[in-house]
Amino acid sequence: MRKKQAEGTSRREAIIDSLSLPKDILLGALRVTLTGCQEAWVENYKGILEYTECQILLQGKNCQVCFEGQRLSIEYYTNEDMKISGCIRCVRYQ
Amino acid sequence: MLGILQFLKGYVRMKIWGVSPERFLNLCSNKNILLWDIRKDGDIYTMCISLSAFLQLRPIARKTGVRVVVLQKFGLPFLLPGLLKRKIFIAGLLLCVTFWIISYRFVWDITLEGNYQITQEVFTDFLASQQVRVGMRKTDLDISTLEREIRRAFPEVTWTSARLSGTRLEISIKENDAPILEEPKPVEGGQNLVSEYAGVITSMIVRSGVPMVKIGDVVEEGTLLVEGRVPIYNDDATVREYLYITADADITVEHSVTYQDTLPTTYIQKSYTGRRSTRPFVRLGGREIKLPQERPYLVYDTVTQGHTPMLLEKLSIPLSWGQYVYREYMNVEHEYTLKQAEALLVEKELQFLATLEEKGVHIIEKDVKIEEGSVCWTMEGWILVDQLTGRLVPIAAEEPVPEAAE
Repeated sequence: MRKKQAEGTSRREAIIDSLSLPKDILLGALRVTLTGCQEAWVENYKGILEYTECQILLQGKNCQVCFEGQRLSIEYYTNEDMKISGCIRCVRYQ
Repeated sequence: MLGILQFLKGYVRMKIWGVSPERFLNLCSNKNILLWDIRKDGDIYTMCISLSAFLQLRPIARKTGVRVVVLQKFGLPFLLPGLLKRKIFIAGLLLCVTFWIISYRFVWDITLEGNYQITQEVFTDFLASQQVRVGMRKTDLDISTLEREIRRAFPEVTWTSARLSGTRLEISIKENDAPILEEPKPVEGGQNLVSEYAGVITSMIVRSGVPMVKIGDVVEEGTLLVEGRVPIYNDDATVREYLYITADADITVEHSVTYQDTLPTTYIQKSYTGRRSTRPFVRLGGREIKLPQERPYLVYDTVTQGHTPMLLEKLSIPLSWGQYVYREYMNVEHEYTLKQAEALLVEKELQFLATLEEKGVHIIEKDVKIEEGSVCWTMEGWILVDQLTGRLVPIAAEEPVPEAAE
């Protein structure tokens, strides 16, 4: 079953790649935009899993993304996108 | 802009803590509730939320086991109840707004720029004749008609622009720098061109008429240069008739102009004593209110310092204030030194020469000397110039027309 699902995903990715379509829209992939190490805009997330001053863990459709740093804060948070500011040291996908 | 909207709608800064604050944030975003400025301090989260969204938080907080406490309130909905209690303040605010709205419908200031020949007083009289005055309604002002009337009333105005800037009527005009030439009227019986100066003719261009002199001739003042009576000949070279026209020619004459100018040996200069007094005034429309005061000094001059307030940089109101500063002085007689006198006389001479040049007079040579007299300095001498000459005079009714040869 899982094998079939993986095959389906890879086939869909191949089609999207061949047609040069945006993956963030069609696959719901996380979209992270960084401006230096001070600001980050994130789209296509499902929600916040953990929020501390040193770490913000977000749930995406297929993976999780973790922002690590100091004095991290969320400038705004909506259903569509969010902005993280602070001193970002590391962006890690899990 | 976003800040203004948030202020108008009102928002609160709140803190939350409890079992699952992250879930609380996620539920808020799922319900399209905007949260901003989210910070974490220990176990407590602080954030801002709009007033309308705050009222929807109760079920979310209950579901996630989170406690919500308001820290600060911002915006108009929180200010308004407090303001409404202050009746005099509200009345003043309303009166102020009403005053602005009403004032904005009138013209409170008229400015004119670009005028050099037309004086401010003449233009003010013209505007008064056109019913354009300070305090008139803006709706009564027809700008295009005003512009047309300005051009019609002042022929020297080549371009005009009037526009309303707030409550100020700004009129800009451009005057014609070149002199207005009048078309010469044809004179019955014709006109001769005679010399205005005594000298030597240096150039001649005759457009109409019979030239009576040539280049190099010495002429006196009044010498006939171009005759307006043009003979028409028969085939046998006898004069059949005369045609009377207005002579027209450009003839230059080299002649000398006597130059003389004087400068008194003494002059009066104001010497300020340092004593001054002020008299405040308030001007409301055309009326001026000032404190009563006796003549401050025997001899004095007056400096007016005024301030005109402008509300919002556009709303000019007919109220101004300021003060008259009276400065006492004494008339002290001084004597010109040779250098000063020379400098002043040379400056006056240069002005005179510049005036001649402006008239198209070509200066060839000059010989001017300065002499000191008992009561004044005198500058005199001569200037050799090359100048256009020609004055039109009617042809005298003499010489009867010869009868045509049979």
